[in-house]
Amino acid sequence: MTITALPISAHPAVAGGLQLEVTKVAVQTESIVTITLADPAGRKLPSYVPGSHLVVQYGSGVNAYSLTGSGNGPSDYTISVLRVEDGAGGSVAMHQLSVGDRVQVSRPRSAFAPASTATHHLLVAAGIGITPILSHARAAVERGTKASLIYVHRPAAGAHMAEAKQLLGPGLAALIECTDRGSFEKVLTESLTTQSLGTHLYVCGPTAFMDAVLDQARELGWTSARLHSEAFGAAELDDGEPFAVNLVRSGLRLEVPAGVSLLETLERAGKSVPNMCRKGICGDCVLPVLRGTPLHRDLYLTDEEKAANTAMMCCVSRSEDPELELDL
Amino acid sequence: MRSVSMPSAIGAGVEPGFRGVICVTFGSTGDTAGLDAEVQPRHDLHFEAATADTLSELRSALGSSHVGVRLVLAGPPADIRAAAAAAAECGLQLEEMTLLSDDTAPRVIYCPHCHSTTKTVRAAGSEVGCQGCGTVLATTDHFSRRLGAYLGYSAHAEEAS
Repeated sequence: MTITALPISAHPAVAGGLQLEVTKVAVQTESIVTITLADPAGRKLPSYVPGSHLVVQYGSGVNAYSLTGSGNGPSDYTISVLRVEDGAGGSVAMHQLSVGDRVQVSRPRSAFAPASTATHHLLVAAGIGITPILSHARAAVERGTKASLIYVHRPAAGAHMAEAKQLLGPGLAALIECTDRGSFEKVLTESLTTQSLGTHLYVCGPTAFMDAVLDQARELGWTSARLHSEAFGAAELDDGEPFAVNLVRSGLRLEVPAGVSLLETLERAGKSVPNMCRKGICGDCVLPVLRGTPLHRDLYLTDEEKAANTAMMCCVSRSEDPELELDL
Repeated sequence: MRSVSMPSAIGAGVEPGFRGVICVTFGSTGDTAGLDAEVQPRHDLHFEAATADTLSELRSALGSSHVGVRLVLAGPPADIRAAAAAAAECGLQLEEMTLLSDDTAPRVIYCPHCHSTTKTVRAAGSEVGCQGCGTVLATTDHFSRRLGAYLGYSAHAEEAS
């Protein structure tokens, strides 16, 4: 790649992070490449919790990618990137990386950790959702806990299958590949009804896929303490109704029109709010709410936190009331 | 209902893969009838007290069960708390247990000086002699779900003698 000049300024999401060098680029499938990053001086990299992700800067933007290793004393970080032609450009830029390129990345961030008390991990992945799930499978094998893996993908589009197969043994007891919906539904129902009490479920894939898996698990008596999911794509949100925000500490009142987010409104007014994904997933842009009821549309806050109405994600959430009062 | 004297069958009679409700009553005061009349499938167990043997029977019932199972525990707090701790060790989540406590029965006080436990009916804040080491314990409201007991501590330890 020729446009590898380092970004002039580090994005806030990767500030205080690491500058790494691409040491390997491997093609997984037609649309997925695996990129290995290492310290240019060959130093060991910080360990991470299984299921963690890395924020990678491309140009002026950033994207989050799941790390596929176990996280224990890594000498390199490996991410796999699905090429999304109509995305914001991050995946296309990642696909242009070649060995020797330098990239600015965050330290690993954990948002999909394994439950420490689990004695069995039931891992469910769809498509590129295999990446954090592979991290969990590797960690289970290394740590001596048990896991089983169900992987749904289009025919001939499965990534990391060879690595997953190598993990099969006492740690990873089962690896089931499904390439059609019917067989997956059968396998999932069977798995959800035959787990011993130490089992936790981990799912990663498109939002609709995860919702379907989690809904079925709940119907079959799985409580939320056992359910773990990692969102990487948020559903399209509607424009919403206009509302106003009263910034108490700034003494400022702003109108948020339909189709414009609160975050964008604040930025236009010169307020800088830390943010990363701008999709209600990462939790960076949380704002304290003093009065009014936010219309929560994020995937970050828990149901309890949403009900408390004391915090909101300003990138996607709006207001139930005509006006919100914020501690800003 | 099972009697404690009966030999413990594998899984305490719970069919393998059970995902219904296991209702356990302790002593003479435990009663889950009102709560779960309509819950099916349901498996009832009755124990006089939470002892090593009866808890092992509960563990074996939970060991035969699969995710989806729920546990209702009714009786004196000392027994149901010990049973809840055993169930959590088996992998059952707190949200999957319902505890119906007979609060007229004794509470368990944990002695951090000798690690033994003492039962008392006195309210939190009162004092009780530890059965293990004789220390006079001030009792508190600090409860350990893992131990199924309230924390006690040496009373008057900071007073000049």
